[in-house]
Amino acid sequence: VKTTDLHPAALFINRELSWLAFNERVLEEANDPATPLLERVKFAAIAASNLDEFFMVRVASLKQQIDEADATPDPAGLRPDKQLSAVAHRAHRFVDALYDCTERGLVPALAAEGIRILKFDDIDPPRQGSLRTFFRDSVLPVLTPLAIDVSRPFPLLSSLTLNLAVMLDEAPEEVGRRLAIVQVPAGLTRLVPIPGADGVSFVLLEDIVRAHLAELFPGQTILESSVIRRARDSELELDDEGGRTHLELVEREVRRRRRSDVVRLEVEVGASDQLVALLVEQVDVEDEDVYPVPGPLDLRVLQGIVELPGFDHLRDPPLQPEDVLAGEQRRDLFSILDARDVLLHHPYDAYEPVIALLAQAAEDPDVLAIKQTLYRTSVGSPIIRSLQKAAERNKQVTVLVELTARFDEERNIQWARALETAGAHVIYGVRRFKVHAKVLLIVRRTAHGLRRYVHLGTGNYNERTARVYTDFGLMTSSQVLAEDATAFFSALTGYSDPPRLKKLVMAPTGLRRRFLKLIDRERRRAEAGQPAEIVAKMNSLSDEEIVSALYAASAAGVRVALNVRGICALRPGVPGVSENIEVVSIVDRFLEHSRVYYFLNGGEEAVYLSSADWMTRNLDKRIELLFPIQQADHKQRVLHALRAMFRDNVKARVLQADGTYPRRSQASGEEAFRVQEYLQQEAQRRAALARESAGVSFVPEDAGPRR
Amino acid sequence: MTDTPEPASPPIAVLDMGASAIRLVIAEVPASAPIRVIEEASRGALLGRDTFSKGIIGTDTIDQAIAAIEGFKHLMDEYGVRDVTAVATSAVREARNRDTFLDRVQRRTGIAFDVINEAEESRLLFLALQDALGRHAAFKGAWTLLAEVGGGSTSLTLLRKGEPHRTAVYALGSVRLRQQLDLRRHSHEVQVALLKRYVANVIDEIRLDIPLRRITNIIAMGGDVRFAASQMTDADVDSAAPEVARDTFLQFCDEVAGLDEESVVERFRLPSGEAETLVPALLVYRTLLGETSAKRVVISDASLRTGVLLDLAQPEGPVSARVFGEQVLGSAETVGYKFRFDRDHGRHVAFLSTRLFDELQAEHGLGERERLLLQVAALLHDIGIYVSLRAHHKHSQYIIAAAQIFGLSDDETALVSNVARYHRRGAPQQSHLPYVALDRQDRLTVNKLAAILRVANALDAEHLQKIRDVHLVRNAGVWILELEGDGDLTMEQLAATARADMFADTYGRQLVVRPVDVRS
Repeated sequence: VKTTDLHPAALFINRELSWLAFNERVLEEANDPATPLLERVKFAAIAASNLDEFFMVRVASLKQQIDEADATPDPAGLRPDKQLSAVAHRAHRFVDALYDCTERGLVPALAAEGIRILKFDDIDPPRQGSLRTFFRDSVLPVLTPLAIDVSRPFPLLSSLTLNLAVMLDEAPEEVGRRLAIVQVPAGLTRLVPIPGADGVSFVLLEDIVRAHLAELFPGQTILESSVIRRARDSELELDDEGGRTHLELVEREVRRRRRSDVVRLEVEVGASDQLVALLVEQVDVEDEDVYPVPGPLDLRVLQGIVELPGFDHLRDPPLQPEDVLAGEQRRDLFSILDARDVLLHHPYDAYEPVIALLAQAAEDPDVLAIKQTLYRTSVGSPIIRSLQKAAERNKQVTVLVELTARFDEERNIQWARALETAGAHVIYGVRRFKVHAKVLLIVRRTAHGLRRYVHLGTGNYNERTARVYTDFGLMTSSQVLAEDATAFFSALTGYSDPPRLKKLVMAPTGLRRRFLKLIDRERRRAEAGQPAEIVAKMNSLSDEEIVSALYAASAAGVRVALNVRGICALRPGVPGVSENIEVVSIVDRFLEHSRVYYFLNGGEEAVYLSSADWMTRNLDKRIELLFPIQQADHKQRVLHALRAMFRDNVKARVLQADGTYPRRSQASGEEAFRVQEYLQQEAQRRAALARESAGVSFVPEDAGPRR
Repeated sequence: MTDTPEPASPPIAVLDMGASAIRLVIAEVPASAPIRVIEEASRGALLGRDTFSKGIIGTDTIDQAIAAIEGFKHLMDEYGVRDVTAVATSAVREARNRDTFLDRVQRRTGIAFDVINEAEESRLLFLALQDALGRHAAFKGAWTLLAEVGGGSTSLTLLRKGEPHRTAVYALGSVRLRQQLDLRRHSHEVQVALLKRYVANVIDEIRLDIPLRRITNIIAMGGDVRFAASQMTDADVDSAAPEVARDTFLQFCDEVAGLDEESVVERFRLPSGEAETLVPALLVYRTLLGETSAKRVVISDASLRTGVLLDLAQPEGPVSARVFGEQVLGSAETVGYKFRFDRDHGRHVAFLSTRLFDELQAEHGLGERERLLLQVAALLHDIGIYVSLRAHHKHSQYIIAAAQIFGLSDDETALVSNVARYHRRGAPQQSHLPYVALDRQDRLTVNKLAAILRVANALDAEHLQKIRDVHLVRNAGVWILELEGDGDLTMEQLAATARADMFADTYGRQLVVRPVDVRS
């Protein structure tokens, strides 16, 4: 069967629906009784937060297309309007499932552990009294009820804020019922501890406000009220961690022309048809954009429960990242890297060596220059501190900062300015392309000339997320990689045109073609009757050209195993097209974030790591890097971890031809295998071995420097 | 710390201003280790587009070039580079405003570019290539063609078992072609047709100089072909010298020739400057390859810049510019053959000249390089006879001046041509334009060398190579040149005495020539 003979819908899965399927998998974790309760609550909060982002970004984009009468179908052959209605249908189903999970599963389970969210009316009168005091002292002063009428239009409420829509009865001098809006103050904590209770009983702030509505509208009759929340077009795009980043400038300009930018309206399930109709008219949304929910709006509030102190029996056992340098005599990163490369697999391996490398570089008088990309980093990061220190010591520090979400901007600019003040050369992004590559380069003077140290990674320079995201990193003093990294920075700082790199491959210049060639090479080998195999792991797979190349490879007999955590536009198991392709998604405790690409290459195995997914945006609109893993034992380690992903029978889901993701079940007699747990144990074993071998070597007290 | 050795010397930088880009390489040149490249950078600056169409480099391009160099200076500063060598090739060489241009560049950036000639370019490329591929089978092959299609010109060197046999530079460059044929005016199909026709014409010319059919190996250099190689070879091959089979190469070139500039940009994600040169350059390589019997093309990442680096790294090395004798003399003889010179006479005069040169070391104070120039002049002093016996020294002068002798710079070629000119007849005068065009130092060198050449030539006046050796005996007031040889040397004695006029003027001593009886 030629791929051209098939209807596109048979070949591609719509990316929005695939994304929703991913969020459904997250929700599965919230439903999984085998998962500790507070971790389940965390998954529910994440799923809710993800969905908000999805509406503000992806649904907004579809609506935008429709507004512009752009009827271009997606690779699956769906026009934007068809996509939108399919998305709406599935999103409504998802919201139902989310609240079912929360209200029937999590809330009772939490109550059984003593953690309660009570309704105001269910609280005993003395405690209600204390809450009334709290309301008058702290809440009332910041409330501004707004009546809506002809002269006072519906207020421009911030996206995702909670409000109470209040229906007031006809007033003496006016005609008809009136609507009023009361904003629930965003500056106050939403989980209000009930005074005098056990400290783990809460009432929601909006519930307190609702109980006092009469005080806000004296002399008027309140017919009904509902908490409402609007999601608006964020003018942002989602990144690979589900966070938001700025859109391309051009795209943003286009979006400004829109009429209404509200993409979703949530109301309480008890709101009357009349109230909803009024809101639909005022807010300017379609009926299908209204989501009546049977519980508290905005379940991100659950994160507050997750962060409660104590309750460790309801959580995963804490992760102890392993120290890969445990076997080293001296923690001098430079001399370690002079002798060997260091491969890190986070969060199983600690992030500390990366921090230490930078810290040491900042202190070392022989270090001349440090260059680094920073995409997302933590506030008060030791990385920034080291860079600042290095700059203050007159080292050449070049930092490529990618400003991300708007709310991050001010924070980003703050530390970027601090770096500049210290004397660093800070570059605020590259025009037209987002810098997503993760690379660090240190230039150091030695007796034998200049020596360079490079760190390349699949994840951001953020020691906090390094504890919860799975990522690979490589630290090396390889001359070739250093030369490439140097050329990469010179191109990004504008001192050179895009270079021809020796070992590294860069997007948007060469990465797409390289991937296509690597896939095609396996295809040709398969056609020549040789064994051929591709194993790859990424966050999302949605690039049409890559998917088509994989189909061609599969059709030629290449075995393709893909571990795709999120969106997957590829449809496996289509006869003659993709029957040799297996797609597995792991959603577990750690966010699967590493990108690994393996090609059998007739036995001369090629293993690559990258910052890039197989998404069009990564290959065409971003600056990304792909780097080879060449050291034999590192290759084996990466490949071993990669293959282990496909052995998971606890947290793995297998994508079916119909687009569903059933869990992989354990065959009878098969032992449970949970890959994240397994890799953690492996890391522990390795570290123990290293410590052991360090323990038996003898270091004379007066040992001079090693020669 | 007890083991802090001497800090290594800071890296050095080489800049190369070509027709379509300015390129930088920063490298460490340890005393006893191979060169270590630290950083390479390149910025597009279409100098050739200006020079080859308007004859001068325009203001915008000048600014572009200066901006690029200023950026490079940032990179050089990061490594504490102090030693910078900067060279410029055809696009600058041929620009009418090259002096003002280079002056502006120097005033703005502090970097002085040296315009090198075609032969020097070939020599440096050869140097780089020999370093990179000296042991490669293709390099050592029976007949190997080194080809570099640059923006302004195509440099070809024919190797015979690893030694340069012939070298030539043709005004066939990717940027030059675009400008000369005014390609922008035409559709892509017409462009390709025009390019092919033009290239074919130049190849006809090349065939006269170089036996293309005999060539069994091609080694190609340059950005365009390196890029093409990266596309033709396997995905993760990163060999320094990838090989591409003949058919694959031809097929790829044809495929790319079918793409207009926009498609090239789109397909290969090249900056438009590089996309512009890809098709013309590949057409040249393709046509060359088609003419030869080579089964594959070896692509080397050797470049002019690495040549310059090597030249700087080993000023006294075995393949250095200082002692590039073999190749230079080989190339000079190639020119000699072209003009049917008396090889044995030329070689003998060269030998006698070097003997005299060595004997006179204390007097002239010249170095190895001048010795080599003297040899070239000696080899070729008579080639003007090809035009006419009458005043043949004058014909020799302009033939040599126009010849491309591998490894000689323009200035050196001019010097050699003057030395050859004064091998007979009148001494230099203020009315001799080629002579007065030299700077003072070079004029002095011409005098010193020509004085030697006149005597040496006279010593083989009969073209019979009778003199085996000469010795200079310094007596007070008069120097005696003793001749060692077979048979009657009276003829040589008389001729040399007659030609010692310039010698007396230059070295301040009368030369008495006399045969010695070695048996006594």
